Amino acid sequence: MADSVLQAINIGTVVLDSTQQVMLWNHWMVKHSGKQASEVLGRNIFTIFPELKNSRIESAVNQALRNNFPSLLSQTLNKAPFPLFSHGVDLGDGQRLQQAVAVIPIETDMPPRQCLIQITDVSIAVARERLLREQALVLRSQTFSDGLTGIANRRHFDVNIEKELRRAKRTNSTLSLLMIDIDYFKAYNDHYGHQRGDDCLIQVAANLSSVLHRPADLAARYGGEEFAVILPDNRPDTACIVAETLRQKIESLGLEHAQSKNPGKVVTVSIGVATRTPEHHLETTQLIGAADRALYEAKRLGRNQVVFQNDPPPST
Amino acid sequence: MFNLSEIQHDALVEIFNIGVGHAAAAMSGIVNEEVTMSVPSIQFVNRLDAASMLVNNESRRICGISQHYQGAFTTEAILMFPEDKSLEIVRLMVGETVPLKELTDMEQEAMSEIGNIILNSCVGTLANIFGQELQGSLPVYHIGTSEDILSASGGQSEAVVLMLHIDFILEKHQIHGYVAFILDVTALHDLQYQVDQYLSRIMGST
Repeated sequence: MADSVLQAINIGTVVLDSTQQVMLWNHWMVKHSGKQASEVLGRNIFTIFPELKNSRIESAVNQALRNNFPSLLSQTLNKAPFPLFSHGVDLGDGQRLQQAVAVIPIETDMPPRQCLIQITDVSIAVARERLLREQALVLRSQTFSDGLTGIANRRHFDVNIEKELRRAKRTNSTLSLLMIDIDYFKAYNDHYGHQRGDDCLIQVAANLSSVLHRPADLAARYGGEEFAVILPDNRPDTACIVAETLRQKIESLGLEHAQSKNPGKVVTVSIGVATRTPEHHLETTQLIGAADRALYEAKRLGRNQVVFQNDPPPST
Repeated sequence: MFNLSEIQHDALVEIFNIGVGHAAAAMSGIVNEEVTMSVPSIQFVNRLDAASMLVNNESRRICGISQHYQGAFTTEAILMFPEDKSLEIVRLMVGETVPLKELTDMEQEAMSEIGNIILNSCVGTLANIFGQELQGSLPVYHIGTSEDILSASGGQSEAVVLMLHIDFILEKHQIHGYVAFILDVTALHDLQYQVDQYLSRIMGST
């Protein structure tokens, strides 16, 4: 009766005697190892599976046989120790069953002690947790990225500009900020509809990011059709060169804009640049304010251009 | 509170340091990185004091892994870390960062394995040195207040707790935890007797 139960149970069950020879090998083991009981009974487990020699499985078996202590081998810390497969054979992809293993000493009426190896298939739980982990990562990245364009969102920008300004202050370095606005965007939306408007935002965002190569540079959607670019450790003139590259890049996309008052009738951007330098320290609001005023000036001068502006607002 | 003589105390500290040394070696083998563990001190306290040692006036949740041992002496052994530290240990061992505030089921199982290795090494070293045999149960994972965990084993409230301070170092992270052995009066005397036997053996041989 007991033997029939062990054979039928839906968990891998192996019993070893004190010399590590297999005394029991149930149907589950036959099914997933592809080895018949007749092939393994009476043989040393480490001769059957030489790869388990000197592994955690071997020390757990010794722990059970010598010290009478059970061991638990989690799937997470022991990647699939036994060569077990859902159909008993490696289908070529090397996908082993995910295993949780317990090695338990068994006292019998007749010493010496034996040990039970119990193997549970945890593949489903592992897959579920992988999904959970991936979704948690996606959720976390979403809180920092703009849903439409996929670049950094306003919150990410706010956190990042504070961090970079603090760093610039500490290391006595420069930090440039570009405020970028799509020219005549309201007219674009009214003329082409919101879906085309969204496509335009996506294209501009992607092209802004593609120009930035240094890991610390950040392009963010500041709001509506406004974008911001943070450039740490850039001299004011370098920041203006990057801004000009961005402006040209967007213009060269040749996105048709019938309502633009610019002669090319394509989508263009105006860019305001401000830089914090060791000689000219600005707080966050001052830096954003200076870049904003530069942007306003660029628009006033006819749009599709870059203006550098570093001075505080005129005192009233 | 119950106390050991200085020499008994020193002998136990030494034995436990050998034990966690074996555990650290086993864990280094799993992660392929150096894991070091040490037991800087041990002390006997009652259960309430043991519970308060863990929380240092915060109402932090504690993660505990317990195993029951019986034989030369009977004890409930519990490895305990503050919950945030258990997250740190498992994720350092696994080498993955999971943006979740609680251990997932699989991580709990990994934590149980870590507890199993540490507790078996500590008790196994004691048993070997005493020349005695003990039987152990499989580890059980608990999460809760330190009082919940220390009383989860049932047992009488007058039990004495042998607290081991444990330092666990992996990849420049040092994590502080505890192993508690809950001992009733009989177990306490059995343990003391075994320590005395061991000491007289090593003293006698010199």
